[in-house]
Amino acid sequence: MTVPYALLGLLEREPSHGYDLKRDYDTYFGRGKPLPFGQVYATLARLARDGKVIAGDAEPGAGPDRKRYVITEQGATEVETWLAEPVEPEPHLQTLLFVKVVLALMLGRDAEKYLDTQRAAHLQRMRELTEVRRVGGVVDLLLADHGLFHLEADLRWIDLTVARLSALAGEVRP
Amino acid sequence: MIRFGLRLTLRGGREAVTRLVLIATAVAIGVGLLLCTLAGINAVNTQNARYAWLQTGTGGTGAEGSSADPAWWQLSADWFDGKLIGRVDVAATGPDSPVPPGVAVLPGPGQFYASPAMGTLLATTPQDELGARYPGKRIGTIGDAALPAPNSLIVIVGHTPGELAHVAGARLVTSISTIPPSGCNGEDCAVSVGINARGIDLVLSVVTAALLFPLLIFIATATRLSAARREQRFAAMRLVGATPRQVTVISTVESTVAAVIGLGAGFGIYFALRPLLAPIPFTGVPFFIGDLSLNLPDVLLVVLGVPLGAAVAARLALRRVTISPLGVTRRVTPTPPSAWRVVPLMVGLGELGYFVAAGRPASTGGQILAYLPGILLTMAGLVIAGPWLTMVGSQVLARRARRPAALIAARRLSDNPQTGFRAISGLVLALFVTTVAIGVITTINAYDGGARTTTADRATLINDFFRFNPSGRPSTSVPSVPSTLLGGLRATPGVGAVLLVHEQPNTGQEFPPGVVSCAELVRAPALGRCAPGAQTATIEPGRAGTKFQPPAWPAADVRPDELAGLPVRAVVVATNGSRAAIERARTLLELVYPQTDAPITVTEQLTLNGKQTAAYQQLATVVIIASLPIAGVTLAVSVVAGLNERKRPFSLLRLTGAPLRVLQRVVLIESAVPLLAAAAVSIGTGFLAAYLFLRSQLSETLQPPGPAYYAVVAAGLLTSLAIIASTLPVLPRVTGPETARNE
Amino acid sequence: MSPLVEARDVHLSFGPTPALRGATLEVAQGEILAVMGPSGSGKSTLLHCLAGILVPDAGEVHFSGRRIDVLGEADRSALRRDRFGFVFQFGQLVPELTAAENVALPLLLAGARRAAALAQARTWFERLALDGLQERRSGELSGGEQQRIALARGLVGQPEVLFADEPTGSLDSLTGERVMDLLTAAAREHSITVVLVTHEPRVAAYADREVIVRDGKVTSPASLVGAR
Repeated sequence: MTVPYALLGLLEREPSHGYDLKRDYDTYFGRGKPLPFGQVYATLARLARDGKVIAGDAEPGAGPDRKRYVITEQGATEVETWLAEPVEPEPHLQTLLFVKVVLALMLGRDAEKYLDTQRAAHLQRMRELTEVRRVGGVVDLLLADHGLFHLEADLRWIDLTVARLSALAGEVRP
Repeated sequence: MIRFGLRLTLRGGREAVTRLVLIATAVAIGVGLLLCTLAGINAVNTQNARYAWLQTGTGGTGAEGSSADPAWWQLSADWFDGKLIGRVDVAATGPDSPVPPGVAVLPGPGQFYASPAMGTLLATTPQDELGARYPGKRIGTIGDAALPAPNSLIVIVGHTPGELAHVAGARLVTSISTIPPSGCNGEDCAVSVGINARGIDLVLSVVTAALLFPLLIFIATATRLSAARREQRFAAMRLVGATPRQVTVISTVESTVAAVIGLGAGFGIYFALRPLLAPIPFTGVPFFIGDLSLNLPDVLLVVLGVPLGAAVAARLALRRVTISPLGVTRRVTPTPPSAWRVVPLMVGLGELGYFVAAGRPASTGGQILAYLPGILLTMAGLVIAGPWLTMVGSQVLARRARRPAALIAARRLSDNPQTGFRAISGLVLALFVTTVAIGVITTINAYDGGARTTTADRATLINDFFRFNPSGRPSTSVPSVPSTLLGGLRATPGVGAVLLVHEQPNTGQEFPPGVVSCAELVRAPALGRCAPGAQTATIEPGRAGTKFQPPAWPAADVRPDELAGLPVRAVVVATNGSRAAIERARTLLELVYPQTDAPITVTEQLTLNGKQTAAYQQLATVVIIASLPIAGVTLAVSVVAGLNERKRPFSLLRLTGAPLRVLQRVVLIESAVPLLAAAAVSIGTGFLAAYLFLRSQLSETLQPPGPAYYAVVAAGLLTSLAIIASTLPVLPRVTGPETARNE
Repeated sequence: MSPLVEARDVHLSFGPTPALRGATLEVAQGEILAVMGPSGSGKSTLLHCLAGILVPDAGEVHFSGRRIDVLGEADRSALRRDRFGFVFQFGQLVPELTAAENVALPLLLAGARRAAALAQARTWFERLALDGLQERRSGELSGGEQQRIALARGLVGQPEVLFADEPTGSLDSLTGERVMDLLTAAAREHSITVVLVTHEPRVAAYADREVIVRDGKVTSPASLVGAR
């Protein structure tokens, strides 16, 4: 969801080739999850189709990665609007966990144990992010903090859910 | 560790230094007090020993040694201007006669010794008023070793053995008595020989206890200043590994430093007070300054006992922390006081009550053993029972409270009654002691009638011819009075009337009553009045001015013309009250009748009866004057500490909307209600204790005290309320919103 | 390798209220362990038992192979002084002493001479960014500074185990992070074992692994022991 906007923003900074865009995205936004080339060019193609970017003339040399992309005014406005908009809270992780918990309760499995395991996984992830904070630069710091706070929020939800399990079970089980 | 402890005590910041100063001051006052009392007890005994020689020759006192030549010896009392003079008439039978202390040799005939004060009096008084009583030449001054008090008036008059051999009261003695009198007995009381030393010891001990208790409470209150902070500090140290012993050492150092400083200052106070205390006549006469001394056991007791006590107190106060390093983090509500706390008070009162039923112990020593524990137990019982009473009272208040202020105050009190009571415990004791003292004194005065001091009393001289005869019947009268004496008396300027009290005949009694002409009695109003219409009346002159004097003397069955033939029991001289008239008349009478008791004015006689109570009254005044300020200071310290403790909870209450007025009312109810309730309890207990003591010791019923008592109590209560009220204007500033900040 | 600190089936009650109902825990030498759990679960009480502050009603506590729950008060105090360090949430410094004296306290209690103890204490001030505060009274310092002083005190005696109970509980996020950074860095540098009680996941994330305490018992999920 954020990939098109991220690429647009990068282009607003300066016109770039597709390869440079991918490299920049991986550096700043893609920690641990590098963007596939295909997704980059597909996104750029869509953006061009929508009139938010313009693909410049291809330079000598084979391959689409030699195209230089430039942001249009419409694209710039789009970026502006998107920046000003508050971020939608990401519901998908909670939904996933919720589905798992409900299913576990319905099927008579140990939902609490599942949530504990999820907690341990979260904490492990938080440990890794804390290590990143220790050795990384300020940018790494901000990203890591962001992740840590989210993970913490997840853990809070997990704690509450654990406390509510019996009530939930009463509603879910026939 | 000790250096560490010193560092914390002396350089631990303003709070620590304030605490140190307060405790040291309290200890200083207590030590000074204790030392004064110990010195006082020593002084009483030292002074008493100096009476020993006056007891020479009286039956029942032992004497040591024996001289080859006995001496004639007679002790008698004389008066001048209301002051008692001790007169010893002696006659040596040989060169080896016993010599009393203070003089080198016995005076010979026509010689006398005088004490320094007596010497001054003789020099400044006309001869016919005083000096003529002691015929002869003054050959020297009696030394201090023989003087009970610096201002004692004593005269040792020399005679030939022949002169004294026929005097009824004179005895042959072979040695001077060295055993101090343990009390007045018989004729020696006329010279106030001997003082009730054990009795004074008892009173002094009670006085000390009465003053030490409030002081101890003050010390305890000051010790608890910043108690929470100190506990926290010790808990922090215990956490990082200080052993309980190390913490105890530091706390002991803190207390001991304060105690040692207080000890030194206390000695300073004692030495400063010594010259001020000596002139006060606790025993009826002042002390020599040298009498107020401390012996080695006294000094050791204080010097060792005070720091030891401080160390023990420190150890006890830190019991909780030395058990667990989590002392403050796990704050538990203090356990509520149990009902058993009332037991000591009940036991104390019961002990006093027991002696009402069982009767008082025979000896003075037994009385000390009986009453001292009872009174001390009652005092301690009041302080011990206080928190429980506070808790119960506040629970009652909480149930019946309708306004929020009363409810908050009552709940806070019942949650922590110990703190609530501690502030006023000093006042409780002060009021108890004041009530007991004044109750006892008022009653004793009422029964003894006090010293009536009408002008007629002061001006009327009675020469009673009653005389003890050691070997036979006492003689009660003389056949007649020489007319030259009567003439001389009447001719003395200032003498109004001279009348004779005769002895009633044919009554069959061993000591017949007197009879007097009513026409003459009119001119000596101090003796009383005749029944209307009587011409002669039955009279006992010795009862004049006492409560035994009837409103009118009953008529006697003797005709006025019969009076002249009857033996004379007493000569009564009514004067205009001037010293010259009284003393000249006295001198004239003494010269004619040297063997009888000296003539005495009605007032002087009454004073003799009431001498003991005056001393007690003095002590009671001291106790009252001292204990109330101590109580006040204790209250002030507690109030300040309470202000600190209220900061946070009250400011939070204000933030949640409680108006300042409500909080001020809470402070008032929290402090004033226990104060007034406890005052009522302690005053009631005081009256009860006084009642029980009076009934068993003196068989007297408690009399209601005079207005002075109510004034003192009111002053004490009003001052305490003022101290409490003084914090109310400070409350808004102390509980302002800044205090509720989370730091 | 046997654990350095160990609790075996520890029971402890405060009056009628049971706080620990059979807690079992092992802490390996050199590891940083987070003890988590909801408030009232008994995690602080467990830490107190491990550190020899409280004696359990039943069960055993071991340190370095020896049972410490049977030791007397004086011995356990000596243990805390010489071989443990403590960082608690608040109320742990002596207000009348200066910062340097507070840091030197364990050394002074052990009998070290004043000058030597203070010198050793002062070396920690710069390392924990406390330079300049040596002579200030601890009551005048900010929360973060006080916690770092407490940390210095906990480290000054070269302890084998550092017990931390909500060390960042009264601090804001940034200050708390600073304290945790310093704490874990010092622990790793000197191979100090850390038992860290906290209810905050972000604080627990500084540890190598975590255990959960619930209702007086330790539940240790199948966890991944993180590599340093």
